Amino acid sequence: MIWQQFLSLAGSYPLALRGLGMTVVLSLISLVLGTLLGFGLGILRTGGNRLISSVIGAWVDLIRGTPFLVQIFLIFFILPEFGIELDAFTAGIIALTNLAACFICEIVAAGIRSVPTGQVEAALASGLSRWQRMRQVVLPQAMRIVLPPLVGQYVLLIKDSSVVSAIGLTDLTRVGWLVVQRVPNGLLVFFLVGVGYFIVCYPLIMLARRLERRMGAAHGEVQL
Amino acid sequence: MTKTGMIDFRGVNKWFGALNVLKDITLSVEPREVVVVCGPSGSGKSTLIRCINGLETIKDGDLIVDGQRLGDPATNMTQLRTEIGFVFQSFNLYPHKTALENVTLAPIHVRKIPRTEAEHAGRELLAKVGLADKVNAYPAQLSGGQQQRVAIARCLGMRPKIMLFDEPTSALDPEMISEVLDVMVAVAEEGMTMMVVTHEMGFARKVARRVVFMDAGAIVESGTPDEFFSHPRTDRSRAFLSKILRH
Repeated sequence: MIWQQFLSLAGSYPLALRGLGMTVVLSLISLVLGTLLGFGLGILRTGGNRLISSVIGAWVDLIRGTPFLVQIFLIFFILPEFGIELDAFTAGIIALTNLAACFICEIVAAGIRSVPTGQVEAALASGLSRWQRMRQVVLPQAMRIVLPPLVGQYVLLIKDSSVVSAIGLTDLTRVGWLVVQRVPNGLLVFFLVGVGYFIVCYPLIMLARRLERRMGAAHGEVQL
Repeated sequence: MTKTGMIDFRGVNKWFGALNVLKDITLSVEPREVVVVCGPSGSGKSTLIRCINGLETIKDGDLIVDGQRLGDPATNMTQLRTEIGFVFQSFNLYPHKTALENVTLAPIHVRKIPRTEAEHAGRELLAKVGLADKVNAYPAQLSGGQQQRVAIARCLGMRPKIMLFDEPTSALDPEMISEVLDVMVAVAEEGMTMMVVTHEMGFARKVARRVVFMDAGAIVESGTPDEFFSHPRTDRSRAFLSKILRH
């Protein structure tokens, strides 16, 4: 009986691979976009313009304070009411990117605030422009604080991507739902789904741990 | 139009909240002049020199530096700062950059000097402050005195017209003070316009043309080192001198 289920599961492996691929592609795209956007927002958040900073702060609080499932429903089901048609993939990317950007914004802002004011004053005193101060002096030092939680955030993002199955994207989680209709062994199927996520996330968890150790000891340039 | 010095305070006032930290400061520093500013802590001497490169802004009065009025929309503060070196009490070297990178960062990115040229000049400057062998060391690998000498080299790398020192030796162990003062004396003897907040009276006697004594935000007394140390004119400066010269 179990053996038959295994055989039948083995037959679903092309579907499982597609699901895993979808999870990885979704996560990767929104991770890259979310990182870029998150750094931009984090820099603006600490940039000294009160209005911009508080608008970003309010948006971040809103996103952090509502369930991701609700956000993705809003984007996928409510936006079309206003004439913005999105396919499930685009909606998923937008929702995940936005979520990642908001968390990363706060991580980056905390990193920037951790750089002593003396550093900014020294850069200011030697005539570096605003962008040069950020690029040459503040960000490299902030990265020591930013990197470990940033990689940790990537792990959370990959796991949160499972929510996109709710709007019909065939990611790893949805493959689980599809397979379990054919092979009625939920424990086994979702155990394997979990293993799939873990295989993607575990290297990142290891990386985060390594970074944390290195950042504690390093005094020189941050190198990956 | 009155004659303008390199640094010209005219009736400058500044408040931190209700506290009047600079009271009606009028002071002119000529090119190539070395002025030592001293006074008890909280007297406003650091604030005074931090105003000159705009790390602090003034509330009223005029502050004219190298012919440019601070706070004037026509004054490009970033540009003006490239002409003013600032040495901090806590060094503020960039910890993620080597000694040489600390020195060459602004010349390369602000002055747009080619990297090889900037590095050549940077090595010479580090040799000049006695750190030829520490070119590739990170700040954390250097002693306080060495860090402060790198910080001075970092300022010199921009070939500034003015150098400001904010208690440059106060964070140092006693045995490291003289190595930093020696470098400062050398810089002064090359004709740099300098304002130095310090209690190092030996330095003041050696190179200062003028000593300015501040208390409670105001300039109380100003004169040559000899006048000031031998014949202080006010009770407050006498009280201050008796405290710092007792040891």
